[in-house]
Order: sequence, then structure tokens, then C-alpha cells
Amino acid sequence: MRDVAFVIAGYGVILGGLAIYALILGRRLRNARREASSVAEVPAERDAEQPSAPSPSRGAE
Amino acid sequence: MRTRILGFGALATVALAAMFGLFVVPADLNQGDAQRIMYVHVASAWIAYLSFIVTALAGIGWLVRRDLRFDAVALAGAEIGVIFTALAIWGGMMWARPVWGTFWQWEDPRLTTTALLLALYIGYLLLRRLSDDPRRRATRAAVVGLVAAVDIPIVHFSVIWWRGLHQAPTFGSPDRLLHPAAPMQFVAALLLMLLAVTLAWLYLMIRRYQLARLETLLEEAARLGRLRSARASVARTAPVDITAAVDAAAPQPSRSTSSAEEPAR
Repeated sequence: MRDVAFVIAGYGVILGGLAIYALILGRRLRNARREASSVAEVPAERDAEQPSAPSPSRGAE
Repeated sequence: MRTRILGFGALATVALAAMFGLFVVPADLNQGDAQRIMYVHVASAWIAYLSFIVTALAGIGWLVRRDLRFDAVALAGAEIGVIFTALAIWGGMMWARPVWGTFWQWEDPRLTTTALLLALYIGYLLLRRLSDDPRRRATRAAVVGLVAAVDIPIVHFSVIWWRGLHQAPTFGSPDRLLHPAAPMQFVAALLLMLLAVTLAWLYLMIRRYQLARLETLLEEAARLGRLRSARASVARTAPVDITAAVDAAAPQPSRSTSSAEEPAR
């Protein structure tokens, strides 16, 4: 096989680049899903702790 | 689950196509083994075109329907298109060095317009970072995506319109698709790689779209959180400030003490 280095560099970078991008994308998606689930839990916890927001009149009493 | 199956299918097809292109198809008489790079290079370039066309169409979709899902599709197309364009340029350079004797030539219209295409869509991605407002960002990105898409036909037809090092398309028309300027084994290897890369593109597009939607939702949640905390801090501090202001504005000292006892006034 002639020009093996160029063939390996061509296939390696293109297919390897796609694989690395797919892995990075998978990790970003996993982190985003984790963050989204934690964001969804926080308001529910906050509502359970504080049933109603403090009203302005409460401070004047 | 179906997306994961698609991912595994794409991986298997890419591996099969690479094996076919590297070890089954014979080397070209003139170009030698460097010609094998064409299978991944041409497939990457076509998929880059497809990605940018999807970005332009999704931009039109956003401008017409004002649905942020179109913007997510546009973002996915642009980011994946940039990856495929960069990889196609790399593949072309690796092929050009043994065949042309040079990695790059700025005088060649195909190479220069492709580099411009890459720069335009990197600019598109950078532009998206300038605004926190998703609707304003989507509108700006849609306009830039449509303007940048003008370069796609220029890149494609540059080898026909102008003279350069780059050869004319192997399948430029339906007639050439049926009678390509290459042996059928080479065409089969190219079409198999094109199928494989298209499956990989589809998988990446779905994943990037899902990520874009989640990012938008997280941005909205962060904005709502900031709004909620700002309202809560206003609610906590405002009564104290009002009382202080009433005390300060009271003309008589006796009035300030009675104001605490009579909040209704």
C-alpha cells in the first residue's frame, strides 16, 4: 500500500473525530439531563418548605 | 432506545464501509491508495452541505412559525455541519498532498470557498453566544444562517464555474450518476460510505437537537430562578424601606411611634 500515512491520517482523523464528537455530545447530553432533573426537583422542595411567599404587609405588622 | 439502536447501526455501517473502502476495493491506477481517502472525504463534504441546508430551512421555519424547536434544529445542523466541513477539509488535504503535491492552494476556488463556508458557520455559532434572549438569538441566527447558505451552491459549482486544481464532480448530473467517471466498485464504496455517514449524521442530529432543547429549558429555568429570587428579595426588603421612608417623612416625632401601632393608615 502506497501513501499509508496519508490514508491512515485521513481515515483516522475523520472517523476518530466523529467518534470523539459523538462521545462529547453524549457526555454533554447526560450532564444537561442531570441538571434538568435537579432543576425540576428544587422548586418542588422550595414550595414544600415555603407554602406561600412573604407578603409585603407582613413586614409592617 | 431507538436512537441508541440507530447509533449502533451507524457505528457498524461506518466500520463496514471503512473496511470495504480500505481493503476490498482495489487501489486507483493513477492515484494509488490515496484515492481511498475520497470515500470519507466526499461523504463528509456532502453531509456538510446537507447540515447547512437543514440549518437554512430550520431558520426559515423559525422566522415563519416562531417555534424554538426550529432553532434547535438549526443549531444542531450548524454545529454538526462545522464538524463535517472541518473533517472534509482535512480529508481533502490528506488526499491532495500525495496526488497534487501540496496540502492546500488558495488559488483553487473549491478550497477557498469551502474554507469560507467553514468560517461563516463558525461565525454563526459564535453569533449565537452574543444574546441570552432565545428569541432574539434565534432570529439573528436564522438570518445569518440564510445568508451563509448562499455559499453552499457557490462551493458546489465552483469547480464548474472557475478553473482550479480540484476536479469536476464525479456525479454532477443524473446522466453522470448512471455513467460515473469512475469504476463501479469505487462508486459502490463511496455510496456505502455515504450511507454510513448519513446514519451517523442522523444519530448526531437527534442527540444535538435533544441537547439544544434541554439547554433552552435550562436557560428558561435559570431566568425564572433569577426572577423569583429578585421578587423574593424585593418582597423582603420593600416593607422595611417603606416603614423607614414613612418614619423619615413623618413631621412630628409622636407620629412616627404611632405609625407602628396603626399600620392600616
